[in-house]
Amino acid sequence: MGDFNIFHQMPWSGSYAIYFFVIGISAALFFFSTLSWYQAEFKPIRASAFYLSFLLLGLGGLLLIGDLTQPGRFLNILNPAYLNFASPLAWGGLNLISFGLVSVAYFFMLRSNNEPTGRLLGVIGSLLAVGLPIYTGFDLTVHQNRPVWNSPLMPVLFVALSLVSGAAVASFLAGKNEQLQVMLRRFMLWSAGGVGAMLISLLGTTAYGGVGAEQTFMFLTSGALGGIFIGLGILLGTAAPIALLVTPFGHRQTGILSAAVLILVGGMALRYAILIGGQIVQTYF
Amino acid sequence: MSELRLSSIETRGVPGKKRYAMVIDLRRCIGCDACMVACKAEYDVPLGVWRTWVPYRVVGTYPNVRKQFLPRLCNHCDDPPCVRSCPVGATYKVEDGGFVLQHYDRCIGCKACMASCPYNARFLLPKNRTSTDITGVVDKCTFCHHRVVQGMAPACVQTCIGRARIFGDLNDPSSEVARLVATLPTQVLRPEEGTKPNVFYIGADRNLTEHGRAVYNPPEVLERDRQAFDNHKA
Ligand code: SF4
Ligand code: SF4
Repeated sequence: MGDFNIFHQMPWSGSYAIYFFVIGISAALFFFSTLSWYQAEFKPIRASAFYLSFLLLGLGGLLLIGDLTQPGRFLNILNPAYLNFASPLAWGGLNLISFGLVSVAYFFMLRSNNEPTGRLLGVIGSLLAVGLPIYTGFDLTVHQNRPVWNSPLMPVLFVALSLVSGAAVASFLAGKNEQLQVMLRRFMLWSAGGVGAMLISLLGTTAYGGVGAEQTFMFLTSGALGGIFIGLGILLGTAAPIALLVTPFGHRQTGILSAAVLILVGGMALRYAILIGGQIVQTYF
Repeated sequence: MSELRLSSIETRGVPGKKRYAMVIDLRRCIGCDACMVACKAEYDVPLGVWRTWVPYRVVGTYPNVRKQFLPRLCNHCDDPPCVRSCPVGATYKVEDGGFVLQHYDRCIGCKACMASCPYNARFLLPKNRTSTDITGVVDKCTFCHHRVVQGMAPACVQTCIGRARIFGDLNDPSSEVARLVATLPTQVLRPEEGTKPNVFYIGADRNLTEHGRAVYNPPEVLERDRQAFDNHKA
């Protein structure tokens, strides 16, 4: 009572979480399209996965630019006189643009169906694609003052989240193709397992962290974000789909698709909770 | 007394270079908020945002209670994470003086600098302002760069009736700030973040400098204030 403080705003609002979500799925779908040149099972979704990836990339780009308060100055990020390579955002901007360019080239290659070029562009594009969740993770990691974000796990966690959400979307594109569903089920299972393992260590280090981290842990587990992080993100969106996928029902198409829906809900919830969770405590400082 | 310099951007102890710093003597601060007003007037700082602000906490048990004040502003850190994280170099450290300033025409409004500042020193300027055309970019305290280079004290320092704010060049051993920092126990905010702040406090209490547990369970009145503040800003 009787305390006075200026209530500070969270710099990064929830819409960044949508960007993380969309861009992660876009990256994974490009990877699955590339995989089709090496694994016959993925061939049926070569085109559809790519087109959806391209669409989501465009959407992600718009979201990102729309979040700037000076969207018209977006191109400043390409100005060599301005670029600051100490900032992961600068790398991210370049990564995003080069991924976009490779995607355009891949689009024309798909239409001409040139296999050697397809493989080459696919590999280059996939390397750039994996850069997207890595840079979004780094974007959070580098803020040494932010509990939860400032963990070396972030880039790896975002790669795993990208794979699991992408595989969930791809399972809808796969339709009744059983062989492909088997592969995607494996992708979902293993990357969801990875996400689960990382979340456990993240919770551990946050709970035993310094005072800001300890309070963030309380927010994430029982406070404002408890329902989203623990309920939707961990239980419904990670543990439940893993449990579902290992049952006999989870080997069937309906089971895989149900797990995919849960995974997508969880993927969004986890990104949101991590993004907001890292910012709550400091708004009171 | 020599201090360890860890990064090339730091201005501490660099021969021939100034390193401006502020000492805030909390024993002298009476919480009149004149500094907040002077700053608002100097820069036409819009409603709802502050370059400097003076939070307080009431401590003690009735009838022995008192208010503790902690004037806040950008620390013009010697190793500023905001400069590191800006993708377009819109925020930068002035080599002579150590001011951390903004290129307003370059800022894209990504708010990475706000996310990286441990002190909430940065804020977004609204899209519309009445008499200033710098809008929709990030802003913060400049240590009154324009005044200091003309030999004047920052507006908050000049106006402080308790003379609680003292400003000067820490690299100059004969300056008042250098003497205070060298002879009295001083504190900086969140030293564990490695930012090496250039705002030093005398008599800062950990009630004010630490994240209190009240953060987790803020009294309802605080939440109501917060709502009112947010509505007002929108
Ligand atoms: S207090 Fe914040 S805004 Fe000021 S220099 Fe340090 S990190 Fe940057
Ligand atoms: S908001 Fe402006 S000053 Fe801050 S990091 Fe982004 S471009 Fe740089």
